[in-house]
Parts: sequence; C-alpha cells; structure tokens
Amino acid sequence: MDKSSSQRLPPLKRNWWLKHRFFKLYMLREATVLPLVFFTLCLLAGMVALLQGAQSWQGWVAFMSSPIVLALNIVALAASLFHAATFFVLFPRVMPLRIAGRSLPDQAIVAGQWAGVVAVALLFFWLFGRA
Amino acid sequence: MSKPSMDRLSMNKQAAQHKQAFDEPLWWGLFSAGGVCFAVILPAVILFIAILLPLGLLPAEALSYERASALLFSVPGFLFVGAVVCLPLFHAAHRLRHGLFDISVGNDALNKKLMYGGAALLSVLALGLVIAGMLG
Repeated sequence: MDKSSSQRLPPLKRNWWLKHRFFKLYMLREATVLPLVFFTLCLLAGMVALLQGAQSWQGWVAFMSSPIVLALNIVALAASLFHAATFFVLFPRVMPLRIAGRSLPDQAIVAGQWAGVVAVALLFFWLFGRA
Repeated sequence: MSKPSMDRLSMNKQAAQHKQAFDEPLWWGLFSAGGVCFAVILPAVILFIAILLPLGLLPAEALSYERASALLFSVPGFLFVGAVVCLPLFHAAHRLRHGLFDISVGNDALNKKLMYGGAALLSVLALGLVIAGMLG
C-alpha cells in the first residue's frame, strides 16, 4: 500500500451531517439555493413572457399567483433572509475593516449589511410602491 | 502545514484530477459575488416581484406590461439581470456542486461541468433576453 492511500480517511456516509446540529444548519444553508433556483427559473419565465407580449405577461402574473408557486416563493424569501443572516457574519471574519487605525466592531459591519438590504427594499418601494 | 495534513486535505475534490485547479478561484469569486447579491438584493426582489405583485398588493401600473418592459429592456435592466439572475446562479451552482459532494452524489468532475455549465447557459439566456428586448 502506498504512503498516501494509507493516510486517507475512510469515506463519509451520506447521512454524516444528521449527527450534529451544526452540520444540519450547514446543510440547511447549502439548501437555501434550491428555492433560489426555483425563483430564478420563475423570473426567467417572466422575462420570456415579457418578450412575448402583454397577454403572456398577464399569464405569467397569474401563474405566479397560483398557491404552490406563491408558497415556494415565500420559502425563497425566507431562504434569502436566512442566507443573508449567515453570510453577513462571515464578512468581518474574512475581511476585518479598520478605519483610522481602529478596527470596526463586527456588529457594526453586520448591521451595515442589513442596512444594505433595507436600502434595496426602499429602492424597490420607491420604484413599485406608487403608481 | 505538515505533509500528512496536506495529504488529507488534498483527498478532497481536486485530488482525483492530479493537477492544479487553476479555475477554482474563479468559481469561489463568482460564489462570493453571487452570495452578496443573494443576501442584499434578492430579498427585496422576491418580496416585490414574486409575492406582492401576484397578490395584487402593488399599484396596478407598477409592473404593467409597458412599465415592466421599459424597466427590464434597458441598460439598468441588463445590470439588474446580471446581479439578480447571473451571479446568484453561479452562487447556487457552487453550493449545489459542493452539496452533492457532501452527500456523495455523482462524481465531482461531472457535477462541476453540469452545475457551472447550467449556470452559464441560463445566464447567457437571461442576458440574451434583455438584449432581444432592447433590440425589439
């Protein structure tokens, strides 16, 4: 047996991540992209409909209001917020910011990113909230 | 890092390929950029376009056919699609590839091609739709 193969770890079983809460949360975070992909495919369908004409666009809005699609997209919204919560805390760890020689507290960086989420939502409200 | 621990790390994904993975920084970069878009922009996009619009909670003209076309088929619309469709697709492709590896589904060399290939195809389609709308 050669040197490298004797040092290899045994392969993990498929359910290794079910054994600890931390790994379950890790897998849940990995899974947040599933509803994201669903929403993206919906959005692509909407873009095709918009290109086809007014009637297709109305049809797409009706499709988006069907209960299953709406439920999956509510899951997508929750997933995006969960992803945001896990992603924002990584920023200060990956790239600690220093201003005038003093390091910015982690909470300030996380809060800044949430402020970004709110700012984008306000931009959308400005665009779509009034006719 | 000591030799044994290097060997253990290298039994991960790239080991089977027996060559340096020069492309990995690109995938991690796209993953990271897509992650920022997914976290910062997508909540508002999903809320307004996939929840409030179908529920009829937006003003009638907010995303009428005319207004939606004018907004999407434009330069800002092109950038919007890049940030809301393309980058998050590469983020998703990266997570799916690594998730499949984590639960030992398929083989990584093929998953990699399928995931990033799929993200690239859909991205080209999305950007192509905007260009088609701008020309049409």
